Amino acid sequence: MLWLQVLVNGLALGGLYACIAAGFSLVWGVLNIINILHGSLIVLGGYLAFFAHLQLGISPFLFAPIAGMLLFLPGFAIQRVIISPVMARPVLMTLVLTFGLTLFLDNLMLVAFTADYRKINLQPPLGVLEFGDVVLPLDRLYATGIGLVSVGALWLVLRSTQLGRAIVAVRMDRDAASLMGINVRLTHAIAFGLGTAMAGVAGALLAAIFPISSLSSSGYLGKAFVICVLGGLGSVPGVVLGGFALGVIESYGALAVGPENALTMSFLLLIALLALRPTGLLGRKGFT
Amino acid sequence: MTQPLLQVNDLAVRYGDVQVVWKADLVVEEGAIVAMIGSNGAGKTTLLRAISGMLPPYGGEIIFAGEIVPASAPPEFVRRGLIHVPEGRRLFARLSVWDNLMLGAYLRDDKAAIRQDVERVFALFPRLRERRWQDATTLSGGEQQMCAIGRGLMAAPRLLIIDELSLGLAPRVVDELVDALRKVNAAGTSLLVVEQDVATALEFADHAYIVDRGRTVASGTAAVIAADPAVRTAYLGL
Ligand SMILES: Nc1ncnc2c1ncn2[C@@H]1O[C@H](COP(=O)(O)OP(=O)(O)OP(=O)(O)O)[C@@H](O)[C@H]1O
Ligand SMILES: [Mg+2]
Repeated sequence: MLWLQVLVNGLALGGLYACIAAGFSLVWGVLNIINILHGSLIVLGGYLAFFAHLQLGISPFLFAPIAGMLLFLPGFAIQRVIISPVMARPVLMTLVLTFGLTLFLDNLMLVAFTADYRKINLQPPLGVLEFGDVVLPLDRLYATGIGLVSVGALWLVLRSTQLGRAIVAVRMDRDAASLMGINVRLTHAIAFGLGTAMAGVAGALLAAIFPISSLSSSGYLGKAFVICVLGGLGSVPGVVLGGFALGVIESYGALAVGPENALTMSFLLLIALLALRPTGLLGRKGFT
Repeated sequence: MTQPLLQVNDLAVRYGDVQVVWKADLVVEEGAIVAMIGSNGAGKTTLLRAISGMLPPYGGEIIFAGEIVPASAPPEFVRRGLIHVPEGRRLFARLSVWDNLMLGAYLRDDKAAIRQDVERVFALFPRLRERRWQDATTLSGGEQQMCAIGRGLMAAPRLLIIDELSLGLAPRVVDELVDALRKVNAAGTSLLVVEQDVATALEFADHAYIVDRGRTVASGTAAVIAADPAVRTAYLGL
């Protein structure tokens, strides 16, 4: 039954992984920005959850939506003030800019929180569900469930609200969008803010089950990247598919080549996939 | 005398250093159907883009409903009811006909009136109702133009500007569009239409302007323009 346990381990992370990648994919798909800052924002969300738990006793699962709200405004402001002026430039420009921002934020967190790994100790621990030989830790189930619900909420916003339509419209045809009276720059800032909000949610959920450190941002960024490519850029169903795929692949990878090599394996898979199917499994232009 | 709905005075437009519109003067009376004709590259689209705020004018002024509209702020124009259906339709891919129509109503929040207007668009173009969940860019050319016009109507326009109404469409479809637009006009919306097919344009409109090399060079009632010998040789091939 080992293979079944490994499968469950993988699936138990799928929803959380989808949540990690959703904001990254949104920003990439809609603004055509590869937001290197995304991993650091996840870490920041994690720290916020850690201190909310330590100081105020708020459960990270409850705190996740609050972390999202807290990170919306900084994202909005970063887009409006820093990224917007170079939006018209080649994609490399925004890549370098967000890379600079991530160095800044990582070092700021290093100074503020040190590089020590910190772990939220849920009191009392949530325990596990047992199905025969197969064990499912409840904290992972919660994290994945809330992650999926958050991704679903994002999907609903994009699919059935005026804001969501405007975000897609701006992506598809900026000029035509302004003919509708849509404020393109404002819509970009909101989309970026939604992306950072999703990073905040993901960070809080991650902090509930894994230790966090100011040095772990690139690992999360890497995961987001792999998930986007696995599932295909620019769709919510894509990040969900990619999230569960990465969870399962990592889980079996950890079994086959050891946990320390699992991420390497994911990246090898990424390279193979990029060579075979550059748009990903469900990839298309825009974001839905 | 009542003031016109749209008055464009001495408008000039540039792309960077390249001046395209030199001197355009144009009046659309409330309730009128005005056609703008001119050869390819005359500057018609450029002029319309300036009128709807997509391009900042280099000179001149745009007065809509008695007020000078601040330059280059499309939402301001949309809010006032000056709506532009662009050349090439520019429907939003990956979004349904319904979503495209709803985007036309982006700046409105009067839910009940919006619902009424959707019904009105569907009554005008029944094929849009049948296809409302379909990706708008997978419609036929005629249906796409219907959707683009419908999207414009969803903004509750006082003036609907349509660039290249009939381009690439079968005559039967053009008749259908013209009929629908007559109904729209009868319900109180003024129209400013750029049309390649000059015969159709002059039959449809009550007033016409001729644009040549970035200037409005002639204007008059459609009947007068249609009888103008210069127009007959240059644009009607008679
Ligand atoms: N974005 C642009 N930058 C520079 N020049 C442009 C731009 N768009 C149009 N032009 C130029 O402006 C002139 C007028 O173009 P415009 O599209 O306004 O003409 P038009 O009358 O609409 O023509 P058509 O009947 O072919 O649609 C053309 O010479 C064109 O090359
Ligand atoms: Mg044109």
